[in-house]
Amino acid sequence: MGNQSISKPELLEFIPKPSRLPAVPVDGFIGRLKKHLFSNIWNTLLTVSVFTLLFMLIKPFLDWAIFDAVWSASNRRECLNASPDGACWPGVIQWFNGLIYGRYPNDQQWRINLGFGLGILWLVPLAFKRVEQKILIALSAITLFPFLANFLFLGGSDNQFNYIVACVGLAYLLILYINIGLIYLDRKILGEYLEPLIGRFYQRRAALLGRLLCWLTVTVLLAFLFQNLTLLLVEVDSWGGLFLTLIISGFSIVMALPIGILLALGRRSHMPVFRWLSICTIELVRSVPLITVLFMSVTMLPLFFPNTMELNKLVQVLVAVCVFAGAYMAETVRGGLQGIPPGQFEAAKSVGLGYWYTMAFIILPQALRAMIPNIVTSFISLFKDTTLVSIIGLFDIMLMARNISIDKNWLGLHTEPLIAISILFFIFCYSMSQYSHRLEKKLKNK
Amino acid sequence: MTAKELIYDSAIRAKVTQGLAILIVFSTGYYLYSNIVNNLHQMDLPFGFDFFSSTAGFDIGWSIVPYDPSMSYGRVYLVGITNTLILSALIILFSTLLGFIVGIMRLSRNLLVAQLARWYVEFVRNVPLLIQIVFWFIVVFSTLPGPRQGYGFLNLFFLNNRGFYLPAPVFEANFSWTLMAIVFAAVGSFVLCRWSREYKRQSGQHKAVYRPALFALLVFVTIIFIATGKPLHWSVPTLQGFNFQDGFYFPIAFMAAFISMTIYRSATIGEMVRAGIQSIDSGQREAATAIGFSRFKTLRLVVIPQAARAILPPMINAWLTTVKESSLAVAVGFPELVSVYMQTSLNQTGRAIEIVIMVMGFYMITSLLISFLLNLYNQRIQLQE
Repeated sequence: MGNQSISKPELLEFIPKPSRLPAVPVDGFIGRLKKHLFSNIWNTLLTVSVFTLLFMLIKPFLDWAIFDAVWSASNRRECLNASPDGACWPGVIQWFNGLIYGRYPNDQQWRINLGFGLGILWLVPLAFKRVEQKILIALSAITLFPFLANFLFLGGSDNQFNYIVACVGLAYLLILYINIGLIYLDRKILGEYLEPLIGRFYQRRAALLGRLLCWLTVTVLLAFLFQNLTLLLVEVDSWGGLFLTLIISGFSIVMALPIGILLALGRRSHMPVFRWLSICTIELVRSVPLITVLFMSVTMLPLFFPNTMELNKLVQVLVAVCVFAGAYMAETVRGGLQGIPPGQFEAAKSVGLGYWYTMAFIILPQALRAMIPNIVTSFISLFKDTTLVSIIGLFDIMLMARNISIDKNWLGLHTEPLIAISILFFIFCYSMSQYSHRLEKKLKNK
Repeated sequence: MTAKELIYDSAIRAKVTQGLAILIVFSTGYYLYSNIVNNLHQMDLPFGFDFFSSTAGFDIGWSIVPYDPSMSYGRVYLVGITNTLILSALIILFSTLLGFIVGIMRLSRNLLVAQLARWYVEFVRNVPLLIQIVFWFIVVFSTLPGPRQGYGFLNLFFLNNRGFYLPAPVFEANFSWTLMAIVFAAVGSFVLCRWSREYKRQSGQHKAVYRPALFALLVFVTIIFIATGKPLHWSVPTLQGFNFQDGFYFPIAFMAAFISMTIYRSATIGEMVRAGIQSIDSGQREAATAIGFSRFKTLRLVVIPQAARAILPPMINAWLTTVKESSLAVAVGFPELVSVYMQTSLNQTGRAIEIVIMVMGFYMITSLLISFLLNLYNQRIQLQE
C-alpha cells in the first residue's frame, strides 16, 4: 500500500495569455459617429448610400417648399409667374382663417377662441399638485363644459335651459379658480366661510351645503349679469375647419368614456343579458369601418325617428362617431379593468361595498389612471379619423383644404393645402403621442 | 321571506334587472321599428331585397369580375366585394413585407438607418390616412404624364395618369393539366415533408428530402407544362392610339389607395415587429451564439419563432383593420364596396336599410372569419403551458 509508485500527473505550468488591449473609448461626437455610422466597411457603405438617398429626397422638397416658394401673391397666376417650380403658399395663408374656423363669421370668431380657452382653463387645475378631488373637476368638465361651449358656439337666445347650465358651469369654473387662489394663499376655500352660518340651522351636511350654496349664489349672480347678453345665432352648417374637427373628436372622446365604461362593465358582468348585449354591441361596431357607420347615420338614422323630427348632419355624425369611439373605448377600459388585481375586488367586498360603490371608488379610479396613455392614443386615432366626415360633406379641415383648389383665385392649388394640414396634424398628433409616451413611463415607474 | 329579504336577494335582483333591460331593449326596438315602418310606408319603399335582381344601369370604372351596366345590383355587390378584397389582400401582403423591413431597420445598429426608420414611422402614423390617400391621388398619380409620354419599364410595365399597366397571363384550355400537376406537386411535397418529419422523430435520422423532392416536383410540373404545349402566354400592354390595349391594369385610384395604405400599415406593422423582436430576452440570442448558431440560424430558429408569438395577435388586428380601412378608397373614387354600394346604389334605389345591412354584413363576416381562422392558428403556435 505504501508504495508511492503511482506517478503523479505532470502539472502543467499555467501560462496566462497576454491581456487584451483596453477598449478604445468612444467618447465625444467623433467617437460616437465612428461607432454608430462607420464601424466597418458595410456600415460605412450603408451610411453613405442612405445619406445620398435622403439628400436626393429632401433637397428637391426643401427647394420646392422653401427656397423656390412664393410667399406673397394675390392669385395662383402670379405665383406661377414668379416661380413655376416653387410652392405657392399665399393661397394657404389667405385661407388660413378658413382652415381653422371654417365658414364661421369673422367677427364672431372670438367666441370660438373664448370657448376653447375656457376648456383649457378647466383642465389646467388637473396639473396642480395641491388641488384635491380632481375626478370632480374632470367630471364637471365632461358634463358642464359642453353646454357652455354650445352656448358660446351656437349662440341664439331661445334656449333658456342651455343658458342656465352654461351659467352653472361658468360659476363652477370661477369658484374653482378662486378656491385655487385661496388654497395657495393657505386660506379657507369659499364654501367653508358659509359653513358656520349653515351649521346654525342644519348641522349634518354643513360643508357640502356651504359649497352648494356658494355655487348657487355665484350662478344666480352670473345669470343676472349676462341676462342681456345675446349672441348672434351661428347655424351648425357654417361650422367648419379645425374647429369642427376638434369639436367632433373632443365631444366623441368625452362621450366615449362613459359609453365605453358601461360597455366594458357589461362585458365583465355576471348577468348574461348585459354581458351578451355588451359583447354584441362592441363586436358589431368594431367589425365595421367608421365610414360605413357614418353613411349609416346619414342615410338610415333619420328613418328611425318620426319624420317630424329634424336631425342636423352634425348631430348624426356625432352620434355615429360616439358609438364608434365608445365601442373601441370599451376594449381599452376592459384592458384597464383586467389589470386590477382580484384582491382589490375582494377587499372592497369584504368591507361591505356594493357593486357600484366598488366600481366607482375602488376599481375605476385605479383602472382609469392606468389607462390615461391608452385614452390619449385613442384620442389621437379618433382625431385623425375625424377627417372622414369630409367624405359625407361636413366642412372639416380636410374639406376646407380641398376647397381651396376650387377658389377662383387659387384654382388647382392642391398640393400646398394638403401639405399644410398634414404638418398641422403631424404637430398635434406627434406631441400628443410623445405626451402619452412620457405619461406611460411615469406611471410605470410609480 | 319578508319583503326586505326579497329586495336584497342578489339572485332575484339580477333577474329583475335583466328582465327590465330586456324590456327596455325590446320596447326601444319596437318604437324604432314602428317608426321605420311608418317612414317607409310614407316613402312608398317597402322593405325587401327585390331590388337585388333589378338592373343597375350605371357603369363601374374597374372590376375583376366582368361587369356591364345591364347587370343587376347583385352583380354590383359582387363587384364591390371583389374589388375590396383584392385591394385589401394586396395591401396586407405588401404592408407586411414592408413592415418587417421597417421593423428590422428600426433595430439597425446603424444610427442613420434606425433614425430614418423611426421618422418614417412617426410621420406616416401621425398624418391621417385620408390625407395621405388624397395626396397620393391628386399630387402624385394625377400629375403623371398621359399614356403616350408615360413611364415604361422593359416595355412590359407602364405607368401613366390612367393607371399602372402590366402583362396579364392568358390561360388556354390545356392549362388545366398544368394546374392539376401543380396541385399534385403541392400535395406531394406536403405529404413528403410530413413523412420526413415523422421519420426523423422515430429514427432520429435526418433524410434530405426537401430539396430533391422540390426539384423532382418542379421538373414534373415543367414536363407536364411543355408536354401539353405550353398553354400559357402573356398578354403585354401595347400603346394603340391614345391608350394601352391588352394586358392588365390598375387605375390610379387603386394605385393611390394601395400605395398610401401600404405605407400607412407598414408603419404600424413595423412597430409591432420591433416590439416583438425587442421582447425576446437578449439571453436567448446569447445562448444561441454560445452553442455555435450562426447569425441567420439564431434568427430563424430562436428569435423569429418566439417573436412571432408576440407579433401575431396585433398583426391579426392590423390585417383586420386593413380590410376595414380599404373602404377609405371611396375618397378617391375607387369602386370598392362602400363606393359602388353605399354611395351609388343607395342613391339610385333609396334602399338605405337593406344596403347598410348588406355592406355591414360583409365587413362583419369578413372580420369574424379572419379573426376566427387566425385565432385558431395563433392557438397552435402559442406556448403550451
